[in-house]
Amino acid sequence: MRPERSHKEVPILATITFSNLCMQYGNNGSRYTALSEVNLDIRDGDFISLIGPSGCGKSTIIDIVSGLKVPTAGTVLIDREPVSGPGPDRGTVFQDYSLFPWMTAFENICFAIEHTGGSHTKAEIGKRAEEYLNLVGLGKFRNAYPNTLSGGMRQRVSIARMFSMNPKVFLMDEPFGALDSLNRIYMQDLLLNLWSEGERHKTVLFVTHDVDEALLLSDRIAVMTPSPGRIKEVIDVPFSRPRCRKSLGATAEYLALKSHLLSVLYCEMMGEIEHQTQNFRGMA
Amino acid sequence: MTEEIPRTAIAVYLLLAAALAVQVLVPDAPRQAAGDASAFLSVLVLLAILFTAGLVFHKKNARAVTDLFLVIAVFLVLWEVLLGKLSLLDPLLFPGPAKVFQVFASDWQLMLYGAVGSLGIMVTGYFFALAIAIPLGLYIGWRRRLYDVAYPIAKAVSPIPPTVYLPYAIVLLPTFAASSVFLIFIGAFWPILVGTIYGVFAVDHRIINSARTLGLSDHQMVRRILLPGAMPSIFSGAMIALIMSFISITVAEMIAATSGLGWYIEYNHQFANYEKVIAGMILIALVVIAVMFLFDRIQQHCLRWQQSE
Repeated sequence: MRPERSHKEVPILATITFSNLCMQYGNNGSRYTALSEVNLDIRDGDFISLIGPSGCGKSTIIDIVSGLKVPTAGTVLIDREPVSGPGPDRGTVFQDYSLFPWMTAFENICFAIEHTGGSHTKAEIGKRAEEYLNLVGLGKFRNAYPNTLSGGMRQRVSIARMFSMNPKVFLMDEPFGALDSLNRIYMQDLLLNLWSEGERHKTVLFVTHDVDEALLLSDRIAVMTPSPGRIKEVIDVPFSRPRCRKSLGATAEYLALKSHLLSVLYCEMMGEIEHQTQNFRGMA
Repeated sequence: MTEEIPRTAIAVYLLLAAALAVQVLVPDAPRQAAGDASAFLSVLVLLAILFTAGLVFHKKNARAVTDLFLVIAVFLVLWEVLLGKLSLLDPLLFPGPAKVFQVFASDWQLMLYGAVGSLGIMVTGYFFALAIAIPLGLYIGWRRRLYDVAYPIAKAVSPIPPTVYLPYAIVLLPTFAASSVFLIFIGAFWPILVGTIYGVFAVDHRIINSARTLGLSDHQMVRRILLPGAMPSIFSGAMIALIMSFISITVAEMIAATSGLGWYIEYNHQFANYEKVIAGMILIALVVIAVMFLFDRIQQHCLRWQQSE
């Protein structure tokens, strides 16, 4: 994963490849570097979490992969094709506001399927939307508008929408960040169950700031550090699937990984605080 | 059920009955004589029926319905006793209710014709404004560069009362109807345009981003995301536009028409027929209430996704 790595050397299985990704905001006067030299290969079917303190650029990466933002330098390849803009070959779930409030749960999913490009009839689309609403346990809330659903239910609809689109990759930007801890546990299990089966087993790029969440869900965890945002370390999570939340949390290996992750993050955080304090002293 | 209906409901019936009794038993003041009071008596009976229907069909709002009708009944009784029977004010300028409601019985054809004509002109101009201002507003709101030009223009031109265009409209356009349609169009256009532009801005950028990830075409972005997202603000603009349209049409008719609601008032004013002037005012109020009711219903339907229950 050297910066000079060329396109040809990408392993065949890689679905997403970041090479030398840089993102800068502002003009020459006041430049802010959000991402600097991000390099990462993501294998087909891998669940990758990006973890790090706020401001480390994890959401920026999602925005670049989804095509919402154009990097200042570097490229993102999906299936060896460079990303040139947004498109329904990537299914995205944001923390909130993924759904359109003027469409019912059912209409939201149908609308997304309609835009995946396949030639579906209206009946097929409806059937598929219905199927996915049932999979997330919201069959009864087919005609409910997002405003009438709880935050957890809205995210379930968003996830149903993402899976129903059958994209190449799933992009999730802190999808459970706004939920209470019980809802979050429920959603993590739901996501794992749905993801582990058949056509839904696709590459996932998942942003979180929760170490336990990352360890439970991921095959690999990329730890990011802020100012400028870069990937400091990529950690393999060796636990076999299906994973059991209860037994997993008690193993020594899990605790060792968790404490390692926390120490890396904590170290970064302390460094950041130190840095800010020095800046503050400098100003004073 | 009896518990849900407030006790003041009885007071409404009593007041309406009292108004009826006073009209029948007490003679009108000399210059307030209506000749035939049957129209006023019908209005009282109609109000009693409407009130009962309101209590039956709006049980949840029984208190509000009762209070509303209480105000109307008190107003009618005072109007009848102080003006119709005691004639405390100039009887020419301030006719009693019996005399005013009699106008509806005698002039109903003319009034209906006028109301239909006025509404026809108004609806035409209003729909032209909707059809042009909404697409234009969506486009301007979506294209930053257009907005930077359009906004200062809209801000400068929109407060100009549409009636100032009347002299030119009359000279340039062939008929009164055409110039009124133009006038209403101008008056309704700006509020709808400004409402639409603001509406596009009000759509949360996170929702727009979510839409972009689906890879929507520009056309679909406008039709399926920006239009519904801007709808709440479009409706507030359209409401102001509707009020402007009512003002424009009545003023235009008062100045230049030979029929219609505004003309009816102005024409009878010239003959010092004040009971007809007041009857015309009541008619306009009724038409406005009916149109606003319809507007509210359409708004509720289109924005049903906003309700959180």
